[in-house]
Amino acid sequence: MTRVRLENITKVYGSVIAVDRVTLEIESGELFTLLGPSGCGKTTTLRIIAGFEVPEEGKIYFDDEDVTFLKPYRRNTAMVFQNYALWPHMTVFDNIAYGLRIKKLPPEEIRRRVKWALELVKLEGLENRYPLQLSGGQQQRVALARALVVEPRVLLLDEPLSNLDAKLRIEMREEIKKLQRKLGITTVYVTHDQLEAMSISDRIAVMNKGKVLQYGPPRQVYFRPTSLFVADFLGRSNILYGKAGKYHDGYIDVYIPDLDATLTGVPVKEITSSNVAVVIRPEIARLVEKNQQVENKLTGKIDLAMFLGDKVELRVGVGKSSLIIYMSNLYEPAPGSEITFYFPKDSLIVLPAEKPLMKEQ
Amino acid sequence: MWLVIPLPERLFSVKDAFIAGAIIAFFYILFTQELGYLTGAAEIVWWIAAIVWAVILFKKGFNYYRIMNSFGLSFLVIIGFIFLFFDLTLEFEGIPRALALFLTPLMTIAVIGYIHNKIALAKELKRRRKIKIPISKRVRTTLYKLDPIMIVFIVVGFSILIAFLLAPVFMMLLNCFNVPPGEPFYYNFVYIFTNAPYVKHYLLPSDVTWYTIIQSGNTTILLIKGVNYGVIVNSLINSTIVTAAATILGIIVAFVLARYDFPGKTIFRILAMVPLFITPFVNAYAVSILFGREGPISMLTQQLFGFKIWIKDLAGITLAQIMAFYPIVYLNAFSSFISIDPSMEEQAENLGSKGARLFFTVTLPLALPGIIAGSILVFIFSLEDLGAPIVFNYHYIMSYQIYSSFTSETGLVSPQIAALGFIMLFIAVLAFLAVRSFVSMRSYAMISRGGRWKPRVKKLGWKGKLFVYLVLLPLIIFTAMPQISVILLAFNIIPPYGFKIQLDKATAKYFIGIFTNPTYYPYIRNTLMYAAMAVVLATIISIIIAYSVSRTKMRILTPVMDTLATIPLAIPGLVIALGYYFFFSTFFRGTPLDPTSVTTFQAWIVLVIAYTIRKLPFVVRSVYAGFQQVHEALEEASLNLGASRTKTIFRIVLPMITTYIISGIIVGFIYITTEVSTSITIGGLNPAQAPMTFIMREFFYGGTVHGVQYVASMGVLLIIFQLIAVVIITVVLKQRYAFIGV
Repeated sequence: MTRVRLENITKVYGSVIAVDRVTLEIESGELFTLLGPSGCGKTTTLRIIAGFEVPEEGKIYFDDEDVTFLKPYRRNTAMVFQNYALWPHMTVFDNIAYGLRIKKLPPEEIRRRVKWALELVKLEGLENRYPLQLSGGQQQRVALARALVVEPRVLLLDEPLSNLDAKLRIEMREEIKKLQRKLGITTVYVTHDQLEAMSISDRIAVMNKGKVLQYGPPRQVYFRPTSLFVADFLGRSNILYGKAGKYHDGYIDVYIPDLDATLTGVPVKEITSSNVAVVIRPEIARLVEKNQQVENKLTGKIDLAMFLGDKVELRVGVGKSSLIIYMSNLYEPAPGSEITFYFPKDSLIVLPAEKPLMKEQ
Repeated sequence: MWLVIPLPERLFSVKDAFIAGAIIAFFYILFTQELGYLTGAAEIVWWIAAIVWAVILFKKGFNYYRIMNSFGLSFLVIIGFIFLFFDLTLEFEGIPRALALFLTPLMTIAVIGYIHNKIALAKELKRRRKIKIPISKRVRTTLYKLDPIMIVFIVVGFSILIAFLLAPVFMMLLNCFNVPPGEPFYYNFVYIFTNAPYVKHYLLPSDVTWYTIIQSGNTTILLIKGVNYGVIVNSLINSTIVTAAATILGIIVAFVLARYDFPGKTIFRILAMVPLFITPFVNAYAVSILFGREGPISMLTQQLFGFKIWIKDLAGITLAQIMAFYPIVYLNAFSSFISIDPSMEEQAENLGSKGARLFFTVTLPLALPGIIAGSILVFIFSLEDLGAPIVFNYHYIMSYQIYSSFTSETGLVSPQIAALGFIMLFIAVLAFLAVRSFVSMRSYAMISRGGRWKPRVKKLGWKGKLFVYLVLLPLIIFTAMPQISVILLAFNIIPPYGFKIQLDKATAKYFIGIFTNPTYYPYIRNTLMYAAMAVVLATIISIIIAYSVSRTKMRILTPVMDTLATIPLAIPGLVIALGYYFFFSTFFRGTPLDPTSVTTFQAWIVLVIAYTIRKLPFVVRSVYAGFQQVHEALEEASLNLGASRTKTIFRIVLPMITTYIISGIIVGFIYITTEVSTSITIGGLNPAQAPMTFIMREFFYGGTVHGVQYVASMGVLLIIFQLIAVVIITVVLKQRYAFIGV
């Protein structure tokens, strides 16, 4: 079991900064996810941990050993590549046994451990197939077995599920989680899929433009985003800009000109300027009677109602802005009708407005 | 990288550049040619006027992107520069000079625009580079990614290319400047450009006509032989005509075969491949028979029109080369046409485009990079071709001149010949590099959705069928004639001189003879041995170079290595021969490797090295394609599991690309066995160790009655090799057998 520490890592390609002063600490045995849009530097960070890239600045430690300039073949990490990278000219058995043969283990031991790995990923009996004779999901399992069989210090997964279809993806997601639990292996997982990240991870780091914006357990990152990017990237959000009002008992009032209303929410970061943004998750809206006295009550006209199966998505025109809210799938509004709802103030997040108001929502 | 650099409001267009050129050219003719003012050195006034005008146009807001983005204009500029160069060095005057002046404003603007763009780009990149990384850290990260074996590969690859490619060519260049005492360093070039055999500055009246009509008895003969403008100009004209004709022919044949379906198409495709079989000397000889005084074409025209046709000299060379080289364009064009995403053309049709318009606006521009890549190969092959000039016994062409200096009695190659070699090299490399940058700028990555598509194939209408069966079929059969004749000659079905079909005298004794007769078989054995050795070397070097190029991403070194490994394509074999001559006679003086030591020279060693380097691009190309097929993640997965780079290369990468290596070996072998230039020059310096192609030439003129049949038999042997190669590559390895592009 290995703890991985990245200290101030910077990687530059030509004139592009791929990774910008990233500092992370990955606990031993945890499943840590790097989440971000494409080009945010998450894969580069993973490749630096694997040793395929070397940072211009900063250090990487496995436990207390400095591995920054250690060659990839001496690090004992195991990576599962996005396209699986199975060698097409070798059988499943040879693919999985490769790492063990490099370590010059006795053939008997190799056979035993390959068998163990195949059982682990539920592929018994496919030893003599070639990768191209396997389905996408099976290939994925072989890649996983090949990585696990060498008992690596760190398991690295680079968007392992992105080439699978939606159903299989959910299945494999569960299985990876279970396997990782069972083996207790330190794992770094890269994905751009926020659902995947939240469902599987012990902790998530959200990256954008080479920087780590926030990291913590999924719930914390989801419910208490510390930047507008994170709020927007993880789940859906209505972001409204306004002027900060007064504080009371840990809450803050914000006047929103577009709604011509004052909302109350939780400031998760120190508010230094009067320009603030309010982040509203669509699922926190609750229906109320029009005359009931609750915080953050709004009334608007339903512009669009879309039935999504498990919920109903509404676009509600309130004042000058249009909000997205979710309602139960039993709710059947008439188009153009009025709706009154409120947002519980504990779920409303207030952040400093990072930039001059970019665009009208 | 594409950057949009803000433009001034567009004031001037391409038309203005042409108007400027036209006005200057008009006044140039008026004053210089008609009135006799401003001639000689004062002529520079016109050039200054053209350039200044161009600069003003650019400063005032000429839209340079119009030239860069337009296919025709950028091509015109490239051709324009080549034309300008020869116009100035060969001192053409009058209309050609006026044409050069006419193009100068456009070319000047293109150059300024290009430089302007590069500077703007560099500035923009500098502006974008926000953080400074010390050079030592960049070096450290680069070195980290180079495992020991990769450093070995890079060092070995470069050493070989420098020692056996750059150094010999450099030695040849050095010899160009080896001048008689008291003369300036450029004396040899002046000598060449001012001497009538090389460049004729004026023509005698008898030189001007390219055909003559001979009356002998009651037969009329139309003798076509071309005009002799001097060695250098002849070569240029010949190669230009060959390239243009081969390109047009190749495009037509390829388009019809790629896009239309008609009965007998498979036979067409097979016949169209036939001229690809290289049979040095013999195919040109077959052309000379076919178009000889008593050949079948003559018989035909005698029957139809009452006169005979006889094509010889320069015209014969041109004809033989067109017939031999057009399949190169055909193959390139064919694969370009079938790799165009049909939705591109469907979209154009959907918008109402069809027929010629569709072809010229969508299909041709998309296929052109591939086609041009084939054309430039034809140009270079034509420039260095020795077979046709030797067979037609025509001496006033660059390749023959260089060759004959090797066979001169002194056995010493003169500095003037080195200068001629330099000019040949210059033309070939210039054309090659210009076309390469031109093509790479216009290579459109075909973005396909959902994998392979089904190429568009249409049924031919009756007009199309008429064209195919009445024009195309005779044409294809016609171009396949030389190879067919080679087989007929070998088995004595047609006699070596004159023309008639004599089935009764058919015999395999000549073909068997080349394996049993001690006068012939040692040379076949030589060729096979040299080819085997050279191909092994070339494969090892190719793996080293291709791996370095495809896996290291160093800023200058990687592209330089890539270019060095491809450039032998553009270097005429005769230049390599000259280079090796000077290289080995300088650095290995007195050793068995010295070509000037007549009795002890070990030609085979030099030949094997020369073959290896000359045919390297063909092998490199194939191996490189293999490495590109292997996704880097497959290698990283191995490194990641603890295998070192060396282990990874031998256990993962090489096993995966064996088919590519094998097809590289086969293609290399074919090109080496059919190699002519160095074989008959270097090989000729020690005939006992000479390869097959040398002896093919020897026996042609050896005076023996049956020489031709034996040579044709060797041609048949080569055809058999190539047939086996095609079968292995296409049937066993399931790859496409094709000439390679730039």
